[in-house]
Amino acid sequence: MPRKTHRYGMVIDVDRCIGCGACMIACAAENNVAPAPAGANERKGITPVRIERVTSGDEARFLPVLCMQCEHETPCVSVCPQQAVEVDRESGIVFQMPQRCLGCRYCMTACPYHARYFNWWDPSWPAGMESTLNPGVAPRMRGVVEKCNFCHARLQAAQDKAAGSGKQEIDAADYVPACVEACPTKAITFGDLADAASDVVRASRDGRAFRLLPKLGTEPKVYYRSELGWVRELAERGGGSPEGGKA
Amino acid sequence: MADAAFVPMTAVAKPLRDRRLITRGLDRCSLPVFSAWLAPWFVMLAVGLYATYLALRFGLNQTNMDNRFAFGLWIFLDLGVIALGAGAFFSGFLLYIMKLRELQAVINTAVILGFVCYSGAIAVLLVDVGQPLRAWFTFWHPNVHSMLTEVTFCISCYLAVLTLEYLPIVLKNRRLKQNASFLVFEWELHRLVPLLAGIGTLLSFFHQGSLGGLYGVLRGRPFAYRAGLGIWPTTFFLFILSAMAVGPSFLLLVLSAVEGITGKKLVAADVKMTLGKISGWLLIPYVLLKSVDTLVWLHSTSRQAGFRPWEYYCWKPFGFWVLLAEIVVCGFVPAILLIRRATRSRPWMLVLSAALACTGVLLNRFVLTIQTLALPTLAFDKFMVYYPNWQEFAVFGAVVAYAVIVYSLSYRYLPLFPQEKELNRVSRS
Amino acid sequence: MFPGVDGFHWTFAHIFFVSVFLSIAAALAGIVIASLARGGRDIANGRAGQIRWSLDFAELPLELRQCRHAVTGEAPGRICPNAFDCRHCEEHAKFRQARAGQCDNAACGLFYPNYRYYHRGHTWVTPQKDGTLLVGLDAIGEHMVGKPDSVRMPAPGSRVVTNGEGWRMSKDGFEVRVLAPIDGTVVQTGTPQDGWYLRVQPDSHPPDLRHLLRGEEIEAWVSREIERLQCALSPDADTPLLADGGVLMEEFIREVPAARRDEVLGEMFLEP
Repeated sequence: MPRKTHRYGMVIDVDRCIGCGACMIACAAENNVAPAPAGANERKGITPVRIERVTSGDEARFLPVLCMQCEHETPCVSVCPQQAVEVDRESGIVFQMPQRCLGCRYCMTACPYHARYFNWWDPSWPAGMESTLNPGVAPRMRGVVEKCNFCHARLQAAQDKAAGSGKQEIDAADYVPACVEACPTKAITFGDLADAASDVVRASRDGRAFRLLPKLGTEPKVYYRSELGWVRELAERGGGSPEGGKA
Repeated sequence: MADAAFVPMTAVAKPLRDRRLITRGLDRCSLPVFSAWLAPWFVMLAVGLYATYLALRFGLNQTNMDNRFAFGLWIFLDLGVIALGAGAFFSGFLLYIMKLRELQAVINTAVILGFVCYSGAIAVLLVDVGQPLRAWFTFWHPNVHSMLTEVTFCISCYLAVLTLEYLPIVLKNRRLKQNASFLVFEWELHRLVPLLAGIGTLLSFFHQGSLGGLYGVLRGRPFAYRAGLGIWPTTFFLFILSAMAVGPSFLLLVLSAVEGITGKKLVAADVKMTLGKISGWLLIPYVLLKSVDTLVWLHSTSRQAGFRPWEYYCWKPFGFWVLLAEIVVCGFVPAILLIRRATRSRPWMLVLSAALACTGVLLNRFVLTIQTLALPTLAFDKFMVYYPNWQEFAVFGAVVAYAVIVYSLSYRYLPLFPQEKELNRVSRS
Repeated sequence: MFPGVDGFHWTFAHIFFVSVFLSIAAALAGIVIASLARGGRDIANGRAGQIRWSLDFAELPLELRQCRHAVTGEAPGRICPNAFDCRHCEEHAKFRQARAGQCDNAACGLFYPNYRYYHRGHTWVTPQKDGTLLVGLDAIGEHMVGKPDSVRMPAPGSRVVTNGEGWRMSKDGFEVRVLAPIDGTVVQTGTPQDGWYLRVQPDSHPPDLRHLLRGEEIEAWVSREIERLQCALSPDADTPLLADGGVLMEEFIREVPAARRDEVLGEMFLEP
């Protein structure tokens, strides 16, 4: 009997995020991201989830940005010449297959959330650090693109556990991505958006919830939530105050 | 008295050392001078090959590209040379299918330019991707919805077409054509050249268009995204039209440069003017359609994505002047200059207009590659700055050097210009 | 993508896309194969020489492609449409009747005896009593190169075709091929010292020599050729220096400026 289809998603409470970066570190540890080599800058590093600091006047907040797992006309899926990205029908997760990736970086151009990262170097760990690697996740070679995949290895582990006890569906508590687990303020709510009774569905329907760049029509499955109006206005390009040099 | 009629001329020039390789009746500079011309280009090529080696050996961290600027100078180079090399397919189409006979004088140069442009572009692409050995994956796992798949298939097939069009030119070398098999193969291949030209035209239409489609489908980048007809955004059609318009101009520029460097007349002035005229008359619809497309994009398509139009042009250095430069100065102005016989018949005006047209198309490709990535998309994004490093410039330089070397060798050893003997008859010494 | 890959299924878009590209690849492969196959057939049928001459003829400048009857003034300005193969030319057949006259043995002071037939490529043909044809360089040809430094002759038993390659000569480092004036099989090869180069068994008896020049045509043709040689010496003039032609020097090629010898040699022997 086929499994139910799920739509895994997140709601991130911006008011709770303190910008500590624990999610970034947990993500790097879980996904065997190699230490940045000498000569790397923040634009060449691999940060499947990254913290963006946003300000309005004297106020500041932090937005963790990761792959939005876009549901509609997923920009990266339609452009990949090798079909190295696909939307998994069972989980709704947008899969990157590094083994098939050519490294053309077209998907990186397509992603409006800048959630895709290229392996500019061969990964290398200092001697002894191999023992810290997560055996459930394959490291990627240089020249391929990677991104957040909602810790899919943990989903597979939960499915194995469920199969082991003869169950068809996993226990929701068994599948928690590393960033969700690591967050000290429990700012991230993760779950199945297809399950009407789940916390994540309730949180996403909160009047204070918003998604980034909704007018692009990508239907992200990552929601944000804030009581502050100016934070919610960051959803659209036109709403926020632009950073950087103006003409 | 009879002897006086035949006053022997003192030999003012020794025969060339490689005379046996050079087509009879054509004057070429001495071998040392030719080697001196080639030497700096070989140096440039060597530096570029070294930079290529570094990128292949150590990875793309050797460049200044990064996660925000995933496409850089090399992609701009690819798009630019493919647009400029469109003269190959378009001249072939006009000559072999539309029977515009006067283009016989320039077709060989057009084919060689196309060949070096496309082979150079593919070579750079292989360095630019993270895993070049996986290049065949696109053929085995094609994503029929991706413009890049279409581009890959088309330019591979088209390079094969260009090779088959270049081969007969090479086989016309004086030494090679002494071999009966080569001669006969070239003769038979040349009989099928209209078919090749037709296939080349079909392929070119699609890949020039798909290169435009690469950017037009990016709904995540409202600066580049365009609505269109069916699955094809307007940039698909605009790229085809601009490539057709600028191909003859680039050809004209190269011919003028070659004539200037060699000090010979190679192509009759009226053929060059015809090239200019073709360019001009194609630039007119291009500029009109591009203007309409820009207005629709700014006021409708982009707004629907939540992006205010003029916001694109408030980031230094990409002010409103970019639009003006691309559409007016390097689009409308050369178009008007080229369609008018009075301006077209002045050689320097012709060359200037052609240069402006080429600049306009290069600017268009640049804007879509670089400006697209520089501009912010998320509300809290910064405007991104990128400068290529020496390795990226070196590889760019290697492609230019490769093109110059191949063309120089072809010019010296192959009969490229049917009109050359005729045009240089008077200035013999 | 293809069967065996997990989750793949064919859609119309896949079929269309793959079909288009396979067709194009097939067309390109077909072009290469057809060219190779046809080329192989051309060589097997001995058509290589004809093809070479038709390519060479097309590259000759207009003034070198003048019809023999334009040279004599009978059909001014006519360009040969048959690559100098007058055997099948209707116009030549019309003019032929009038060409029975003699020419004196010396056209412009050069030896052009009446018993020889002459080819535009500066060879002569003399029918022998045993039915073979002897082929040699005409007076202009001999004055041009004198005794060539080396020659590359066809092997006895090989075929020659009209306007195909007869033999190759080398002088002062420059090589030129001499056109064969008739169809036939090479029986014997001569040397420059012998005064003849080929002895050919013609294909037909009597041999078809309609395309060769003789009689009154020779004078006009020879003086035209000498004019061209004079122009080769004087770089700026399009017209010869003297009206009477003068006397042609021996090893004339050495009088031509070194940088132009190759070109002049090619022009005289019709090898572009």
